[in-house]
Amino acid sequence: METITHNKYTVKEIRDLTPSTYVVRLERNDMKFMPGQNLNLGLSGDTEKRDYSIYSRKNEEFLEILVKEVEDGLVSKKLKRMKPGDTLEVDGPFGFFTIKEENRYAKKFLFIASGTGIAPFHSITGSFPEINYTLIHGIRELNEAYEKEHYPEGKYISCVSQEDGGDFRGRVTDYIKQHPVDNETICYLCGNVNMIYDVFDILKEQGVPSENLHAEVYF
Amino acid sequence: MNKKIAFKTLGCRLNLYETDSVMSEFARAGYEIVDFNEQADAYVINTCTVTNMGDHKSRQTISQAGRRNDEAVLVVTGCMVNNHKDQLDQNDRITYVIENDRKGSIFHLIDSHFQGEIIHPDELLRDRFAFGSAETSFHSRSLIKIQDGCDNFCTFCIVPHVRGRAESRSFEDIEKNIKEVLSYGYKEIILTGVNIGRYERDGLNFEGLVEKILEIPGDFRVRISSIEPEGFGEKLFKLFHHPKLTPHLHMCLQSGSEKVLLKMRRQYTVDEFEKMVGKIKNEIPDFNFTTDIIVGFPGETEKDFQETCEAVNRIGFSHIHTFKYSVRKGTRAERLPDHLPEKVKNERSAVIRDLAEKHKRNYRSGFIGKTQTVYVEKIDARGNAHGYGEHYIPIRFKASKTTQPKDFHKVAIIGIENGIDPKLIGAFVQ
Repeated sequence: METITHNKYTVKEIRDLTPSTYVVRLERNDMKFMPGQNLNLGLSGDTEKRDYSIYSRKNEEFLEILVKEVEDGLVSKKLKRMKPGDTLEVDGPFGFFTIKEENRYAKKFLFIASGTGIAPFHSITGSFPEINYTLIHGIRELNEAYEKEHYPEGKYISCVSQEDGGDFRGRVTDYIKQHPVDNETICYLCGNVNMIYDVFDILKEQGVPSENLHAEVYF
Repeated sequence: MNKKIAFKTLGCRLNLYETDSVMSEFARAGYEIVDFNEQADAYVINTCTVTNMGDHKSRQTISQAGRRNDEAVLVVTGCMVNNHKDQLDQNDRITYVIENDRKGSIFHLIDSHFQGEIIHPDELLRDRFAFGSAETSFHSRSLIKIQDGCDNFCTFCIVPHVRGRAESRSFEDIEKNIKEVLSYGYKEIILTGVNIGRYERDGLNFEGLVEKILEIPGDFRVRISSIEPEGFGEKLFKLFHHPKLTPHLHMCLQSGSEKVLLKMRRQYTVDEFEKMVGKIKNEIPDFNFTTDIIVGFPGETEKDFQETCEAVNRIGFSHIHTFKYSVRKGTRAERLPDHLPEKVKNERSAVIRDLAEKHKRNYRSGFIGKTQTVYVEKIDARGNAHGYGEHYIPIRFKASKTTQPKDFHKVAIIGIENGIDPKLIGAFVQ
């Protein structure tokens, strides 16, 4: 049976993006995935496992995940200490937070992320750069605009709540209220549960039908 | 003298299907199938672990069987094994602990045991679809397994951890299974699995599969068992006009609060669920919707709960399986804050049960004056036939001389019983 058995993956690199956020690069091991899907992983032999969205592109030779170190976190702190050559137990890919093939180049997309919730959108936009999208990223500080140079000019909008210098000063909810979304746009939301609740309510008030709303919650 | 063997199944329809299949193998080989409360040479317990109650009942059943006959071979299988294998392995009274994917080899294991050959369970074939058609079963309807496993990883659910990744059975196998059970005299089949709406094999999705099953010749009808509100669409709604497909879905809502659904990591919103219900009811106004509701999910506020009650009232489910949330170790919800006290869960559960009872009576009463085609399950000592109509409502009627179990009978609905699960009362239509 294909039970949840974790396979060994070697760590290739840890790339720090901020003092608390980093990218873990793993060998690909021929894993097939759809951009937007996630992995369940932890240290070899450790019973604690966590879900992380795949950050890397579909056609790259490696897998990457974006991790924020969580205070008292049982996995994220250990991942930070990993060195190239160490192994992780990985299972997946899982999840349905993906873009339907028939919609990919036919629809307009709005991606809304908070914090490391940007990970699946990094994978989606990198894998399908021709799609028609705007990415709104809610962060507290400018340094959380993780690898924003990945996104073409005008595609990425940072909503920075605690300092000036971003594309918008305030929360993503404020941005969306000021920039209403048309009901043809397909919206994908990823990040903390409160952001998703609030954005859902705003988008529904603006007339976006529920079938055009997709969410992936980070706890 | 033939060996006696007894079976006990806990939990879902998939377990029932698998037990039926294994039991049939023993019956064909000449074993005497006896009631679980009787003395037997072997006991097979197909366990459940989906809730604390499932674990509790499974443990209780294992211990009862162990006490009934010290010498009997005791085989424990099912989801509790996959969740608590180490613990069960240490129980000296259990002869064999068999994981879900090896369940299909239980006949081989026990039969070999009685012939003096001891097989280690790890040597048994791993195959989730290695189940033959059940000629013998405890039921008049035949379950057909089309799929196993689930990749949804809802935050409360242990099933993906114990049933594994989603896998679909080939249409050829399913067709063969259906034709065989039809040849055994079954006239109603129930499509079953863990997450059947996600069926996907050889380019065939769930809707396509149902369409192909409906094309199989014969006098039978098809029922879809529990399904998640995802993975299918308009095509399935239209298929409900097919005379072989019964107008009933057990579609799991779980909560009427968008916030709770999000925390559960369900793949739909309440709004989408209701739209789906609306579309099907547009096609078939008296369509029967039943559901599962979880009360007391971590962080469920009184407002969230009220939203569930309101959704239940709007949709008017004719039956609700109410579950009090129970922590499953290793699931994401285990680590969520704000777990609720049992008292609150009990109170909310009672409220849903009351609502469910009211809607059940309302829905069923709506059939008085209409006709139903009853698939007869049994005829009691007083000459009453009992069975289910196409909408999956229990019906009783005075049997005629020709009334037989596993036959269809058209009845006019003339009344409804009292009580919390009232049967409709029918009169035979010539």
